[in-house]
Amino acid sequence: MAKAKVTFSDVNVTVNVPVGTRIIEISEAVGSYIAYNCREGDCGVCLFEVIKGKENMSAISKEEKAVLLARYQEIMDGWRATKDIDALQAKMQRENFIGKNCRLACQTQVFGDVVVAPL
Amino acid sequence: MTKSPVWLSERVQWIGALDPDMRSFDIILKTPNGTTYNAYAVRGSDGVAVVDTVKAECADQFFERLEAVARYDEIKVIILNHLEPDHTGALPELMRRAPQAKLYISQSAQLMIKALLNQQDVEFTSVGTGDTISLGDRTLKFLHTPYLHWPDTQCTYLEEECILFSGDVFGCHFCDERLFNDKVGDFRFAFEYYYAHIMRPFREHVINALQLIEPLPINIIAPTHGPILRDKPTSYIQRYRDLSGQGLQSEVNADEKTLLIFYISAYGSTTQMARMIRDGAEQVAGVRASLYDMEGGDSDLFVDLVEDADGILIGSPTINGDAVKPAWDLVSSFAKINVKGKLAGAFGSFGWSGEAVRMLEDRMRGLKMRLPLDGVRIKLIPSLDELEQCRKYGQEAGEHLMGVNAPRVIDMATLLASRKELIN
Ligand SMILES: Cc1cc2nc3c(=O)[nH]c(=O)nc-3n(C[C@H](O)[C@H](O)[C@H](O)COP(=O)(O)O)c2cc1C
Ligand code: FES
Ligand SMILES: [Fe+2]
Ligand SMILES: [Fe+2]
Repeated sequence: MAKAKVTFSDVNVTVNVPVGTRIIEISEAVGSYIAYNCREGDCGVCLFEVIKGKENMSAISKEEKAVLLARYQEIMDGWRATKDIDALQAKMQRENFIGKNCRLACQTQVFGDVVVAPL
Repeated sequence: MTKSPVWLSERVQWIGALDPDMRSFDIILKTPNGTTYNAYAVRGSDGVAVVDTVKAECADQFFERLEAVARYDEIKVIILNHLEPDHTGALPELMRRAPQAKLYISQSAQLMIKALLNQQDVEFTSVGTGDTISLGDRTLKFLHTPYLHWPDTQCTYLEEECILFSGDVFGCHFCDERLFNDKVGDFRFAFEYYYAHIMRPFREHVINALQLIEPLPINIIAPTHGPILRDKPTSYIQRYRDLSGQGLQSEVNADEKTLLIFYISAYGSTTQMARMIRDGAEQVAGVRASLYDMEGGDSDLFVDLVEDADGILIGSPTINGDAVKPAWDLVSSFAKINVKGKLAGAFGSFGWSGEAVRMLEDRMRGLKMRLPLDGVRIKLIPSLDELEQCRKYGQEAGEHLMGVNAPRVIDMATLLASRKELIN
């Protein structure tokens, strides 16, 4: 079976995975700080940052895009994220965040080497 | 109870509401003698400003007082220092009665106001630190003080009279119709309690806000809850300074990181583990590890330490299929502070099922702490090999803390198999 490498930069661990694996299947086992809630693409909690290899990930669906946008607004609005919000906000605005550098870990599949990190 | 407004100064009146029967607020706060929702009216030569409103259920009191102060068509501006419903409940009705009044909100409240009013086309002006609006002979100046305690919060300063409309900051849940701090009953406990439960999780933001507030000359602090602080107002600012400070200075150098290891043990096995983990962590340059037996202290004391720490490990034996109460009390107390992103882990001795460690880990993961390692679980009394496992765990925790852990490459199948073994 074809293999891909997923590197979680926050814990400095690389996992060799079969092509098509979702990030959610491995991120908790390596102890990466990507968090989950609904696990099915609804809540947007599992937002993570793609550091390298966005071309090696499954295409972003309309639904994922909508959840990402809602989550982005919620982060800006919400009082849950208490720290570094200004940096996050500025960064997301600067980098046109949808579908580029941020994805949902419970949705995204990998087809080649990628480097990811929690947000 | 008379529903007349109360003068703060020649041009400023309190037009808020008293809610003496309220007993718990936002679910998490106890309010033994109720609260007030303070709103204010400022009259300038060019019109009237309303600063904040009250919660919907108390709107009648607010409008009655407001009507005694001004005609609706005199209201030129409505300033919202904070959009939480306890201060914006009466807003939609106020906007209907004074349609010409312009809304002023903080920059970070722009999306929230649309959600609050369920209306996409709300007209408002967003303001930041240094922006002013003129009421003719009175000037209102804004201070951007986000996250106290919502992202949208700001303060408004009436320059000519040195009055700070501070929103929830410097507020407390205490209802006394005598209103002023030099007249009401003893509200000190309420002030401290409010800080501890509402403001403390946002300590860094409190410090940023104080930097803006402290240089201002202040005659009166007019918060949205509790007594209006006109007697020695700056002492309340100083109290926030003290509460947001660190107490004793820390003896930890800037290039070091602190790891707190809390444990509790009935027969000493978890104690042995804790000591080895500490030894392991101390082997990593820059780690300052400390050991605390939870039996000898309580979470109220420990939570102050946790607030300043970089990493926290908790050791508990499994008793009746669970971690023990002091461990849970400690983890529960984390909600009072900001632990997001701190390194965390758990460990413990067990007899046959050993649920404690995974349960503590899951809870800390839920608090958005960072758990890069699977905690060590040792069956009954640790052997020499098992103690070495603890030492290694401590060392790896230390390496993660210092960001010097060696890169690791692992196959997914191996990873998931080892994980499964751990859980069963
Ligand atoms: C009242 C009691 C209940 C216990 N319940 C469990 C249990 O449900 N599951 C388990 O794995 N061990 C259980 N144990 C065993 C302890 O976890 C085990 O003795 C452990 O080594 C104690 O660690 P300590 O020396 O640090 O206290 C229980 C022990 C006692 C005394
Ligand atoms: S966990 Fe809810 S969207 Fe991924
Ligand atoms: Fe509030
Ligand atoms: Fe409030």
